[in-house]
Amino acid sequence: MTRHLLRLVWNRKRSNLLIAIEILLSFIVLTAVGTVAVFYVDNYRKPLGFDVENIWTVALEMNEEGRTSVTEQSDGEAAPPQAAAAARERQARRALVEQLLLTLRDMPEVEAVAGATVTPYSDNTWTSDIEVGGRRYRYGASAGTDDLARVLGLRVTRGRWFTSEDDAAAWRPIVINDRLAREMFPGKDPVGQFVDETRPGDTAPDPANRMRVVGVITDYRKAGEYAAPENFVFNRARLHDEKSEAEPVRDLVIRVKPGTAADFEARAVARLRSAAPDWSFQAEPLPQSRESALRLWLAPLAAAAIVSLFLLVMVAMGLSGVLWLHVTQRTREIGLRRAKGATVVNIRRQLVGEVMLLTAVATAVGLAIVVQFPVLEVFSAVSPFVYGVSLAISFACIFLLTAACAWVPARMASVIQPADALRYE
Amino acid sequence: MLLSYLKLAWRVLWRRPFFTVISLFGICFTLVVLMVATAVLDHVFAPIAPEVRQDRTLGIYRARMTGDRMQTSSMPGYLLLDRYARHLPGVERMAIFSMPRMAYSYQQGSRIRSLIKLTDAEYWRVLDFTFVEGGPYTDQDVAGGTMVAVINETTRDRFFGGAPAVGRTIEADGQRFRVIGVVPDVPILRLVANGDIYAPLTTAKTDAYRRELLGGFGGLLLARSQADFPAIKAELETRIRAAELPGRQWKTLTAPAESFFEFVAGSLFGGRDEPRAHPERLWALLAAAGFLFSLLPAVNLVNLNMSRIMERASEIGVRKAFGASSHSLVGQFILENLVLSLVGGAAGFALSAVVLRALNGSGLIPYAHFTINGRVFLYGLGLAVFFGLLSGVYPAWRMSQLHPVQALKGGVR
Repeated sequence: MTRHLLRLVWNRKRSNLLIAIEILLSFIVLTAVGTVAVFYVDNYRKPLGFDVENIWTVALEMNEEGRTSVTEQSDGEAAPPQAAAAARERQARRALVEQLLLTLRDMPEVEAVAGATVTPYSDNTWTSDIEVGGRRYRYGASAGTDDLARVLGLRVTRGRWFTSEDDAAAWRPIVINDRLAREMFPGKDPVGQFVDETRPGDTAPDPANRMRVVGVITDYRKAGEYAAPENFVFNRARLHDEKSEAEPVRDLVIRVKPGTAADFEARAVARLRSAAPDWSFQAEPLPQSRESALRLWLAPLAAAAIVSLFLLVMVAMGLSGVLWLHVTQRTREIGLRRAKGATVVNIRRQLVGEVMLLTAVATAVGLAIVVQFPVLEVFSAVSPFVYGVSLAISFACIFLLTAACAWVPARMASVIQPADALRYE
Repeated sequence: MLLSYLKLAWRVLWRRPFFTVISLFGICFTLVVLMVATAVLDHVFAPIAPEVRQDRTLGIYRARMTGDRMQTSSMPGYLLLDRYARHLPGVERMAIFSMPRMAYSYQQGSRIRSLIKLTDAEYWRVLDFTFVEGGPYTDQDVAGGTMVAVINETTRDRFFGGAPAVGRTIEADGQRFRVIGVVPDVPILRLVANGDIYAPLTTAKTDAYRRELLGGFGGLLLARSQADFPAIKAELETRIRAAELPGRQWKTLTAPAESFFEFVAGSLFGGRDEPRAHPERLWALLAAAGFLFSLLPAVNLVNLNMSRIMERASEIGVRKAFGASSHSLVGQFILENLVLSLVGGAAGFALSAVVLRALNGSGLIPYAHFTINGRVFLYGLGLAVFFGLLSGVYPAWRMSQLHPVQALKGGVR
């Protein structure tokens, strides 16, 4: 039966080729949009790793001189700031950030405050990579003060978050997420492990730069619900450290008591402004940042979905029209088959079968194209599982679509009377 | 002759209204998507008020500094523009503006977020704002750091409920400004001109920005004529190549003068070492995107056209038997398809206007006022013709290849 259908399809190869190309293109469009949608849904059900309600973030703009300031000037316009002066200024900025935290902590609504470098849903990203034992690990990173875990509700599963215990440490304490712990230390307890950057040709690592895992958190998907899980590393941010050369954190995170009204923000910002009149503050409730971040994730998908929906409607209409015309052109052939004893069901099956066969060929080619993406790991964040689900959905949709398009013309064809059809022979 | 073809085309269109409607749906939908995309691009790049002198304006929008194993790129800093981009030969006026920054105001318990942009006084002379109220700040205001501001209409609505604003004060980011002018809203996609609050450069909280080579500012160069562009670009390049860098670790600095389109192309395709813009690549990318999108609708329409033409096999057979050349048949069918595309295009224009109005009203893109202006109309017309040819040439060619005998028999595969 299939071989017979194949021959029928082959006999009209030119026009069938065009139809197959159309089905192929629709299949690719459907898979592309479907993969993004499945990717989002798949990510959405994974743990986020932090709390959103009752949290405010405040971004600090310090209006200070950066590292691109010209320090050596021939015209003597400004005295070149010395390295020592720059360090003093950094120190002063760190002290001021600490003072801001204290100012906020005094407010009755505030439960806890902390400093951080990369807050949830912010546009800022900090990614890094490290080579350990011949393997390269990519991770997202952030830094936080000792209170950050409490403020953001980070879930520490092993070890602990940063505390003053780390003050005297001769290494850099870090907290990593489950995913990185599993990848880096399979089967071992990650807490207490050292992480050394080992490059070929490197001498012994600088002890003060060695990282040591003090705790493991479930996750911290900074970009939000639709983002893929990634490896993550938290560094410790210290504000009162005489020796440190580090820049201070540029974000404050505030956890308020449940039921705090929105006007808290105005009072908090007023306090901050009077404590640091030269700085600028951008306060945002985390639920609001979440809403705008998620909208930014969804808007392109929504636009693509609407466009492809219209594309598919167009293809469906076009395809049923073309198939209908084909049926009217094949009246004589169908009449002959009816006269030779084929039943209505037989005819219908043949016509729908031809289209199904065509769809199978087109989607097979489409599959060969689409499968390159997971095989070549073009988008490494998208797992083969996501591709699999989206391909399954696309197959189901495209076969349903073409079957529906073939059904109406096939019904029409099957009611052709042999006598009418063969009248002109 | 053409007239009779057109008449014929019109007749053929309505011979099978069902198929015409299917074809028109596809054409119309495709053109709506392409026209909306065109309108959005037009909104970003075209010389729309207040950037009316775009044809003789160059901008300095990006700077890149490289050293051993490191590089940093961002907007130029104030120092770079102030030191190296002033008094270039052939430049009539030069303006400096900052990237808009979010400033928060709290008023009776509610919060107002405004984008604040710091500029010099020349900014108001390089760009052509029409003031709804008051006027711009002056060179004296900028030199003296006067706390004055020009606001847009939406900001006036937010602070004063639409009442006249000139002479009143607003608070933003803890600073108080006296409003001296009100301008219409500029769409957020216009990097150079958009902003909610415009204030003198010197109202910045600290003067640290004056010593930065990189970061946060843009420059505008209004040339006497376009012919001066190459000389201006070359002179700026020479000056910046000789610039003093912030430390020995830095080796090179680049900050090209370019059009906004070149800037976008350069940011997308700019290589690591060369600051050259690649406008032709951006054009190619846009064309490729448009072509890829039209591919599926085109194949769909080709399919429909093929089937319809084969249905007319006997007509073609007769015409051929009476001596019609392949060329004239091809011409006739392409013309028919063009008529179809143009009818679809007309519907597409109407629908695009509706979609664009909905987009403007949705507030998805602040202050957007997408419209179908003359430029977008011409592009849309071009797209309709292109799409008509894309979907009409192959069926027409196939049809012209029909053998008359076979065609008359009606047995076509």
